[in-house]
Amino acid sequence: MDTDLVVRAQRGDKGAYALVATEIADRFLAVARRILRDMDLAEDATQHALLAIWQDLPQLRDPALFDAWSYRLLVRACYAEGRKERRWAPNLRLLPVDEPIANDGLSSVIDRDQLEGGFRRLSIDHRAVVVLHHYLDLPLDRVATILGIPVGTAHSRLHHAMRGLRAALDADARPPVREVAR
Amino acid sequence: MSTERDMTRIVRSWLRTDEHESADRVLDHVLAQLNATPQRRSWWPARRIADMNNVAKLAIAAAAVVVVAVVGINLLPAGGGVGGGGPAVTPSPSPSPSPSPSPTPQPSPSPTTAAFPPAGALAIGSRHRVTGGGVPYSLSVPTSGWTSNGEWGIEKSAGIGPNGAGFILWPDETPTGVFADPCAILKSPPVGPSAADLAAAVAAIPGTDLVSGPSDVTVGGYPAKHVVLTFGKDADCNADGRLTGGEFYLWYAPSDARYATELGSTIRVWIVDVDGAIVWIDGETNKGAGPEPGLEIQQIIDSIQFE
Repeated sequence: MDTDLVVRAQRGDKGAYALVATEIADRFLAVARRILRDMDLAEDATQHALLAIWQDLPQLRDPALFDAWSYRLLVRACYAEGRKERRWAPNLRLLPVDEPIANDGLSSVIDRDQLEGGFRRLSIDHRAVVVLHHYLDLPLDRVATILGIPVGTAHSRLHHAMRGLRAALDADARPPVREVAR
Repeated sequence: MSTERDMTRIVRSWLRTDEHESADRVLDHVLAQLNATPQRRSWWPARRIADMNNVAKLAIAAAAVVVVAVVGINLLPAGGGVGGGGPAVTPSPSPSPSPSPSPTPQPSPSPTTAAFPPAGALAIGSRHRVTGGGVPYSLSVPTSGWTSNGEWGIEKSAGIGPNGAGFILWPDETPTGVFADPCAILKSPPVGPSAADLAAAVAAIPGTDLVSGPSDVTVGGYPAKHVVLTFGKDADCNADGRLTGGEFYLWYAPSDARYATELGSTIRVWIVDVDGAIVWIDGETNKGAGPEPGLEIQQIIDSIQFE
């Protein structure tokens, strides 16, 4: 991100912020949709994040840190939208399994519905780590910074998320390991 | 047998094979709302000098050329054109010396590893270590709601509002001068090194309204100079009733500069002389603040103990 643009936007230049928002909006929507798995919620989260960035930009001390800071606001917006989603989401929790997936043919035939279902059953905390790391290619220490968590926690969340997704893919091959949350 | 690498590849592939997503509609909504969405000015008024634009840097460089004029400004009496007559302000804290006993422990003015409370809420009554000017000390907060930013400040509440208050504790470096032209970000030459020199410069910053000081007080048992400033219309760099865009710069350290947050806010400065080492602390209450935030700031100052 152009630091001069960020500084101008910090000082209230709406034109500069329009350029900033235009540059990041598509990417933000893509990240939000992958975390929330719902386009309407993702659009709302992106809109809230872009307005929050504008409002809070004067509080960003170092404009060079804009990228990480803005992603943090986006993830927060996703949390907020995710809380709305919980009202309608199936009240199920996926329990990870430790056994390796026995099917070597995963690379050729992927059941996207299973993967989608498994991902939806992850918490927003876990989804955010997966998307920031595997979609945006951010290293885990940077993911931890964005989310405001220790690096070890980011590693742990990623590990558990991936185990959960593996379990979802393996659902056909073994008994269901879902439990109904009380 | 599936491996971790397989799973990573599968998930990455799944995340990246999606239809095109355009945020045009979202962007339209956001841009349409900007005019009705005011920015929240941070009360954190420290900004890296390095962040200043080139014009400001040139202006600062030009300051060296006009040293004589700048010194002339600095030598103006404290009340000369800048004091009194300001808008109603929060009652200033009493500058009377605190009843702290004479210190027995020897402070350590030599450079130490800077200490600062980690980011997050500060528990009522618990003591928090800080290093300022190379001198370790501790403080406690009197009420809930105070948080540390983990770097250089603690605040009562985020953003602008009458209940907001906060401190900049200058853990890494100590201010050495003030701005001769706060709107143009034009620095005066460094002053000091005594607390009295610095306080006199603070009290004479053009465009500020001097509420009180410099006065002699005691902080943690050590002598200090105390100055209270507020900011009226003369501090409005944009002449539009806001301090946005052209923040009103007050004092500077080698890489940081302090600016006033908003018209009507009040800044209290304590410049403590700890056996020759300068510890600089400044607190700010926001426009329209009642007596409580100022009182809490004074309570925190009174809680300071040098190690």
